This record gives sequence, C-alpha cells and structure tokens, in this order.
Amino acid sequence: MSRTLPGISLPDPSELSWADLQLPSLGIPALPVPDLWGTPAQWAVLVPLLAALAGVTLSGRSNRLAAWIGVAGGLGTLAATVWQLYALALTPGARRTSGTLGALPLGELDAPLGLVVTWPLALIAVTVATVALVVQVYARWYLWYDPRYRTFAATVSLFTAAMLLTVHADDVLLLIVGWEVMGWCSFLLIGHHSTKNAARRAASKALLVTRTADIGFVLGLVILAGGAGTTSITRIVEHWSSSATVPGPSTGLVVAMLLVVVGVAGKSALFPFQDWLPDAMEGPTPASALIHAATMVAAGTVVLTHLFELLAVTDPARLLLAVLASVTVLGAALLAFAQGDLKRLLAWSTVSQVALMLAALAAATPATGPDAAAQHLVAHAWFKALLFLSVGWLGVLVGGTAMALVASGARRYRVLRRRLAWGLLGLAGVPPFVGFFSKELILGAAEVGALTTGGVASVIVLSSVGAAAPLTAAYCMRAWLVLDRRTDAEQLAATYHQGGVERIDDFFDEPVVLHEAEGLERAEAAISSSARLGTTVLMLMTLLGAAVALLPVWRSDVHLNLQLLLVTLLLMLVAAVAVALAARGVRTRDAGARVPANVSIAAERGLGADYAYRLLVATPVLALARAVAWFDAEVLDAWVRGGGAGAHLLGRAGDWLTPRRATPALALVLGAVLVLAGVGVVTR
Amino acid sequence: MIDSLRPAGRQLLELVPDLGAGWVVLALAPLLVGAVTLLTAGRWPTAPGHTAIRAVSVGAAVVSSLGVAGTALHRPGVELPWIPSLGVWLRLGVDGLSTPLVLLTSVVGVVAVLLHLHVPPPPRPAPLEDEDVAATSPIPLVRSIDVPGLATYHACLLLVLLGALVAFLAGDAILFFVGFELVLVPMWVLVARYGDPGSDREGAAARFLMVTVVGSTLMLVGLLGVATATGTSDLARWAELRGEGIAPGTQAALAAVLLLGLALKVPVFPLHTWLPWVHATAPTAASVLLAAVLLKLGTYGIVRLVVPVVPDGFALWAPLLGGLGVTGVIWAGLACLVETDLKRLIAWSSIAHLGFVVLALAAGTETGLQAALFGNVAHGLVAALLFVVVGGLKHRWGSARLSVARAALREGTPRLGAALVLGMAASMGLPGLAGFWGEIGAVYAAWAPAADRPEGWFRLYAALAAVGGALSVAYGVRVLREVWSGDRAEPRVPDAVRTERLALRLLGALVVLLGVLPVLLLAVTAPAVEAVIGR
Repeated sequence: MSRTLPGISLPDPSELSWADLQLPSLGIPALPVPDLWGTPAQWAVLVPLLAALAGVTLSGRSNRLAAWIGVAGGLGTLAATVWQLYALALTPGARRTSGTLGALPLGELDAPLGLVVTWPLALIAVTVATVALVVQVYARWYLWYDPRYRTFAATVSLFTAAMLLTVHADDVLLLIVGWEVMGWCSFLLIGHHSTKNAARRAASKALLVTRTADIGFVLGLVILAGGAGTTSITRIVEHWSSSATVPGPSTGLVVAMLLVVVGVAGKSALFPFQDWLPDAMEGPTPASALIHAATMVAAGTVVLTHLFELLAVTDPARLLLAVLASVTVLGAALLAFAQGDLKRLLAWSTVSQVALMLAALAAATPATGPDAAAQHLVAHAWFKALLFLSVGWLGVLVGGTAMALVASGARRYRVLRRRLAWGLLGLAGVPPFVGFFSKELILGAAEVGALTTGGVASVIVLSSVGAAAPLTAAYCMRAWLVLDRRTDAEQLAATYHQGGVERIDDFFDEPVVLHEAEGLERAEAAISSSARLGTTVLMLMTLLGAAVALLPVWRSDVHLNLQLLLVTLLLMLVAAVAVALAARGVRTRDAGARVPANVSIAAERGLGADYAYRLLVATPVLALARAVAWFDAEVLDAWVRGGGAGAHLLGRAGDWLTPRRATPALALVLGAVLVLAGVGVVTR
Repeated sequence: MIDSLRPAGRQLLELVPDLGAGWVVLALAPLLVGAVTLLTAGRWPTAPGHTAIRAVSVGAAVVSSLGVAGTALHRPGVELPWIPSLGVWLRLGVDGLSTPLVLLTSVVGVVAVLLHLHVPPPPRPAPLEDEDVAATSPIPLVRSIDVPGLATYHACLLLVLLGALVAFLAGDAILFFVGFELVLVPMWVLVARYGDPGSDREGAAARFLMVTVVGSTLMLVGLLGVATATGTSDLARWAELRGEGIAPGTQAALAAVLLLGLALKVPVFPLHTWLPWVHATAPTAASVLLAAVLLKLGTYGIVRLVVPVVPDGFALWAPLLGGLGVTGVIWAGLACLVETDLKRLIAWSSIAHLGFVVLALAAGTETGLQAALFGNVAHGLVAALLFVVVGGLKHRWGSARLSVARAALREGTPRLGAALVLGMAASMGLPGLAGFWGEIGAVYAAWAPAADRPEGWFRLYAALAAVGGALSVAYGVRVLREVWSGDRAEPRVPDAVRTERLALRLLGALVVLLGVLPVLLLAVTAPAVEAVIGR
C-alpha cells in the first residue's frame, strides 16, 4: 500500500497517527530563574484570589483602581501559569505537586489539600489565565460607565481563582471548593444588572439548577473519599482502581461515578440541566465570554479528566455520560440553528461544544486517554471567547444582537470581519483552525474506542459526533451569511452597477468605500485599544492554537482515519451549501427564517425546559414546603403552646385558690413551721 | 506555603504574659461588676444617660474579651473547694472543646453590646388599602437614644455573657448547670421586656420559658444521675471514666434524659418550634446572643456531658439523633422556602445548620466531631452576622415581612446589602466561608460513621443532608432575590451606622478567615476530639 515518491516517503494514510503530525520535541534552555517562594500552581490560584480580595477592599469608589487591580491580577496569573509551563518542561516525568494550606486535622479522614499539575492541566491553566485577562481588559471598556464595575472586576478575579483551583486540585475538597465558588460567581456575574428582572431570574436559575445537580457531585466525591479514607485524588484513584477487579467495578464506584456525572451534567449544561446556560446570556458579554469559554462549563471536563482513570473503568457512568452528552450535542446544535439572536445562538453552540468535550471523555478508553477532551477545551476557549467578545462589540455598535440587527455587521465594520469569520471557522471545525484539530482528535479517539474496548458508549459518541459536525457547520454558515450580507448601500450600488467601465480616479467618491471607511472608524473608535488587542490575541490563537494541539506533550497514539475525516469535511460542506441555498431570497440572508415560526419560538424558549423545571421540581417542592410550614405551626408547635397555656391555667388556679390577705390559718401554718425549726435546732 | 508563616505567629503569641488565674478573673469579673453596676444604676439619684451606660457595658465586654483571649492562650485552671460536703468544686478552665466557644462568646458579646437598642413604638393599624405599602416617612432613627430601661437591658446582656462563659469554662457539672441557668432569666427579660411589641411577645416569652425550664430540669436530673452513678461531679473525671461502672440500662436512660434536655436547647427537630418565635420577637442583640451563644450551650453540652460520659448510651440513641438532625435540615430548609418573615427565616436556617451539627455528632467519629465543632462555631458567627443585618433591617423597615415591597438593598443600602450577601453565602455553605467545612464534614461523617453505628441509615442521612445543602441554596437565593436585588429605591432607609459597620466587619472577617483557613480552628479542637472519642 505504501506509495513512495522519489526522495519523499509519505506515511501510509491508513497508518497515519497523531504522532506523525506532532511538532518535534525541543530542548528547553535553562533560564536563570530565581528561586521564588511557593510553586507556580500556588501562585496561579493565590494571585487572582488576592486580586479579588484587593478589588473588594481597596478599590473604594475608584473604577480606575479596580481596573488596575483586576488587570494586574490577570497579568500576574498569566505570568504564574506561563512560569508553570516552563517549570513543568524542566521537570522529569512532567508532573509537579505542591501543598496549599497544609493537611486538615479531620480525624480519621486524611485531607492533604494538595495541588497537582501535568501537561494538559498546565495548558488549560494558561488558556484560562489568558481568556480571563482578555475578559478583564475587555470589561474595563465594556462596563466603563457601569456603577457596579468594581464588583464585576473582583468577581471575575475570584472566578479565575476558583477555576484555576479546580484545574490544579489534587484533592476532592479543593475540587468542591473551586466548583462551588464558580457557581456562586456565575450567580453574581449573570445577575450583574440586578435591577433587571430577567437578569435576577437567570442568575437564580443558574445557581439553583447547577446546585441541584451538585447534590450528586458532592455525594459522589464524598463516597469516593469515604471509600479511600482520604481526599487526595491520586490516592482515591489508586484505591478504587485496585478495588475494580475482574468482574467489574464495585457498586460503590459505580454509584459514585454516576453521581459525579450527574453533577458534571449540571455544571456543563448537559441535558436535562441545559436550560440555565442560554438564559445566562442576561449577564454582560464579558461575563458570558468567561463563563462559556474557559471556566464554569468547562470545569466538568476538568473534573472528569482528574477522575478519568476511574471513569474509564466504570461502564455505567460512561454510558450515562455518553447518552446525556450525545443528546445534548445534537439537540443543542439543532436549537442553535433556530435561535433568533446571535448571542443565544452562541450560547446553544456552547452547550453543544461542551457536550462534545464530555462525549470525548465518555468515548475514551484507558488506551486513548482523556487528552482529546482537554484539547477541545483549550480550542473551544479560544474561538468561543473570540466570538463572544466580537459579538458583544458588534452589539454595542448596532444596538443589540438580534439577527435582524447584526445583519451585514461584518461588512459595515470591517475590523470585526476577520474576527467573526475566524471564530466561526474555528467553531465549525474547518482546517486549519483549532477546532478542526480538536474535533478530529475526538473523532479519532471515539473511533478507537468503538473499535476496541470502548463498548456502546464509544459507538454512541462516534455517531453523535459525526452527526454534529454538519449541524455545527450549518449554524455557523447561517450566522456568517447573516453577518456577511451585503449592506443596503452595497445592494443599491450593485443594482445600479453599470459594469465594464473602470474608474480609478474617484476612489473616495464611491459610496461603498465611504461607508466602509466610516464603519471602520466607528468600530475602532467604539472600543478601547487594549480590548481590541485582546480580541486580536484571541483571533490569532484561533488560528495558531492548532500549534498547541500539535505540541508533543499530548498523548500521541491516537489513530487518524483519513477517510472518516474526508467524509466529515464533505458532510460539513454539504450542510453549508444547503444553508446557503436556504438563505437565498430571505431579506437578511437568514436561513433560520425558513424554520416555521412556531418551531422557532419553541426553540427560543428552550423547548419548554423551564416549564418542566417548574412543573417537576419547583412546584412540588414548594407544595411540600407549605405542608411542612402548616404542620409545624399547627401540630408540632401545639404542645409548646399547650404547655404554656396549661402553665397559665395552673397559675390562675393557684392564684384563685390562694387567699389575698394573711389569714389566721396562714399565721398558724407559719407558727408551726417556726416551732418545728426551733425543735430541730434544739434537738440537734 | 503557609508553613513559613507559622513560626512568626508563634513568636507573636509568646509576647503575651501569663497571668495564670488572673486571666480567668479578668474574663469574668468585668461582666459581673458591669452587670451589678448597671442593675443598680436605675436607683441612683441621677440616672446615667445612654452614653455612660453604653460605655460601661462595652468596656466590660471588651475587657472581658481580653481576659478570654488570655485564658484561651494560656489555658490557666482555677480549682477551689466550693460545696465540700457535696464534693462540688469551683473548677474553671478551658480545653480544646471550649476554647473556640469562649472566644466566640466574647466576640459575639462585644458585637451584641455594641448594637444600639431600639424599642419600636407600638404599631399603628395601617389603613386597609395601604397594608402592603411601606410608609415612606419618617426615616427611622438608627443611632442610640435614651430608651427607658437601657441600663437593665445592658445588664441583662452582660449577665447572659457571664452565664455562658461560666458554663463554657466550667470543669464541674454543677457549675455548668449554674452557668446554664444563669443565662435563662436575663434572656427571658430581654425577650419579654425589650422584644418587638408588634409581635406575639407573650407567646414568644412563654415558649422560651417553657422550653428552657423543661430542658434544664431534664438536664439537671441527668446530671445528678451521672453524679450519683460516678460519685463525682468533676467533668474531667467523667470523661476519663467513659461510662465505666454505669450499667448499660442506666447509661441509656441517662443519655436519653440528658439528650432530651439538651435537644430542647439546641434545638433538634421536633423540639425546635420555639426558636422562630423567640427570634421574631427578641431585640437584635438578644437574637445575636441567642443564636451565637445560647444554642451553642446545647451542642457543647452534648459533646461535654453525653458523648464521652455515657458513650454506650449515646451510641444507642445516635441513629435516632442523627435522623432527627437530618430531618431538621430538610424540614427547616423547606420552611425557609415559604416563610414570610425575614427574621423567622434566619431562625429557621439556624435550625437547619444545627441539624448538620447534630448529624455530625451522631456519626461518632473524630471527623464527625471535628465537623460538628467547626460547624458550631461557624454557625455562631454566620447567624450573628445575619441577625445583625436582619435585625437592623427590621428596625429600619418597621417589620421584617417579606411580602411588603421594600427598596432593594443593593440600590439603597449597599453596606447592609453586602453583609447580607456574605451572610447568606456563608449560610448556603459556600466554600471559602465558614459554613462550608462543617457541612461537608457532616456529610462525609454520616457517609462513613463509626463502626458501631448502623451504616445504612447513616448513609441515607448523608444523602438527605446533601439535599438539605441544596435547599439552603434555594432559600438563600430566595432571600437575595427578594431583598438584596431589585429595582426599587423607595422607601429610603439609612445604611449601616458605625457600630453596625464595625460589628459586620468583625464578623465578616472572621467568617472569611475561618472559611479560608479552617486549620486555625481544627488544630485547636483536634487533640480534645481525640480524647473525647477515645479510640
């Protein structure tokens, strides 16, 4: 089969593996880094934490100071994570551990509270730190006149600290700490405009839905720790791996992992918990970018990466995760297509893409490892942050993100054109953008799993990931067609275009050129240069991030199936062409307008999931609460009331029986007492 | 990282001189002197004004808290014969179990005496059509004024503190009982005389009296029973004996009586109904003391008088106790979802948190006991913080009803709003704040209980406790959504005044400190916990 050209030897396409694509290993020069206090992992958590604390306590009424604290904290965090990359490159075995507060004296339970970092975690940490820094810079522009900017900046710092703690945690207690703090920060960020009822509702919903799922998360981790007698993840994995013997994993492990998967499903907005995430669009755009791109929803992937060795041997948990993730990948991609608002389209695409990461984890086997999910996490962080921040910028320029408003946006504001285009290409997974590489890896891993020991879970994931690729391409194409629609001026010019006559001297008289120049000026004047620089960094990473995926630090033994790859690309192309055809004849070039109105409305309402939450959870719980309150007041309290009333009655009775004045009989009694006392004294 | 800071802290502490028993005297005497001075102040030819009264009261509490700090640091012991014929000694001292609680008492005591007393005027009947509309004027006074009976009020606060400190410092069962009882009457006066006249003051005071008197009587019976069985009332000796020489049947009976008496105080479901009533009526400072100090006497009593003293009897009742604790968590969490009075809601949340503490205690492991002690102190701080905020709000609003439309705290009174957010976050068990470690520890302890506990039941309790944690988030979100955020800016009320700011900052800083560095507290209690569990 091997075709050998003279001089060049190409690898056999059927034998192509990831290792053939990876960049070569380079030696790392030993830089004269001074011996600093603490480890980079500690600093990566501590710096944003201190920035949050300083932002709350020091900034007073100065937005400027708050911004400096936030941005400086972001820079410090980024420096710590980059330093960590360097330190990790010099560490043999590429695994570093460190402590935090010291072990907790919790009796029988051993709680070392350690941190750990390996290559995937270190790269995720850098991504998180970069996105957080860009968000801080962007928020300074976006919320310039916002009276609550100081709280916002501090919350973003705290959010970053919590995410980095989750990334680095080698302890289930620290995992829970980071996990819950992120949930709380998302409550504050989504509810930032707390005078808006919709924002308040969305914030409450996000916290309640995720925290309800966290019942499973907390219990699952407690079961894991309870079996091992320690909270150290390394030791938990050792303990439970050794107990998972030939007949299969023990019941305890299965229950624990199922519960953890439920918790992860809540935070990562998998079906049936998905509905909080699109509502979270009520938060300001930088908050959406942070929550959707690198933190919060991605935390589930990080946690399951930590616990991957246990997940991979627990088939029921993998199956549950595969089913939930597959349903979500496809359902959310379909819903994204029908949204009438660009920001909500992106929100549903996040639901779909995060489910894709988790699907990769479900499909992976111990042989393939969890790297595909981590790579997609990193890739997704770049293009999703870019898309959110660019759309937020566009929203400021055109006054909203509804499809009708953003139409022609990429033409009117040329500076946004490349940002939006690259972001959508990355999201769709078109080569050579980051999304392409990470999705290929997921496909490869799922295929290996399906062909080897992965079982049903891998097969489900492989089919759903394959089906999701054209769907993703479809909604990306739809968004792009709307954004790239010709402006009215251009259309008019085209209508009256005579053709054939080339005029070169009146360049600046062209209405199109003038319009474009004006748009460019407006767009650039609207945003601060630092925020623009931030989006530029993200844009470059959407392209160059592929190099990260090709670094030789990832596992390289994934098999690549070129035929599968070509078929996927072909399907994407077909979907895109179909969308383009559907968009013809619609004024805004919106293929979504072909969707029937009632379907479109149902999709915008998330198919009634909110109603289902209220009907199935909120209403019964409140009814139970009313019953409890009634029972408490009428039954349980009755004996106390009765006791009080009884004592009152007794007192009344005694009062009534007792004479009010001293009577001879009382004098006799007193006298007798005195005599008795006297007798006692005398006869002693 | 943190290790390199430890030696510096140790050296700093070594600078404090050791006054021996002087520290104990310094802790108790100012409270006694202050209380007596204030009680007699009403009979002076010229009654002192509110400034002088507050100065005396705050001075006494601050000096006493210095004494408590010294006592906690050097742990001196006082041992004097008191009633030799009964073998009762005046033993005062601290160990790992009581150190956090005496410190908590003195901190919360300072906060309580700092707060201004406002006796609200009797409510005017509102016109029917304006029932759900809050009055817009006048803006309530939130600084101190000459309230009739202010001196007695402060004297009662100081007496409550004195009683609580005596109970926590006591090394003798009878002395413990004396301290326990000393708290009740001044507390009753605070509720019945200084309580909110708009609420059911009679009902609240009657409930408080009923429950505490029944509880103390049962406890006294239990204490005398143990003292008879062991022949001593020395608590240290009781703990050493570990129930030796007490027949299993007697142990079970004694444990039942003691637990019943203390459960009324904690309070454990279904004996909890008095707490929301009393909190709804009590003035702010009394609510703070009630939540942060009085309820702690119950849990401390269980740890001190039951767990090590009649271990077999406790083991017998532990499954029931744990079940009641976790029922309380769920029950109170549900009640919070529909409660219409903010102050009562916080009282309910107290019941839920103490349910976690009781569950952790019942698990019978060192982890459980550590979690229980931590949760106990954390609840004291968080509840005190919340009651300072909510009590202040109740005074400003005229009532604490949630059905009335008020100005959103975030818009009108950001300081009080921030404190409420911090308090509710801690109450939800948010990590990084004090409430977290006790709750997660309780869930863990219930999942992995001691060997002689029925594992299946306790695992069920663990699952229910996790559900209770989610319920606490639900009611926390409810409070924040209804009170903290919103678009109303009317009716305007004043933001936190200086004393409130001081109190809130102090408590808030402690809540964050314990949440971030739980090891500070866990390290203090760890040796004592080993001794109590004794395995």
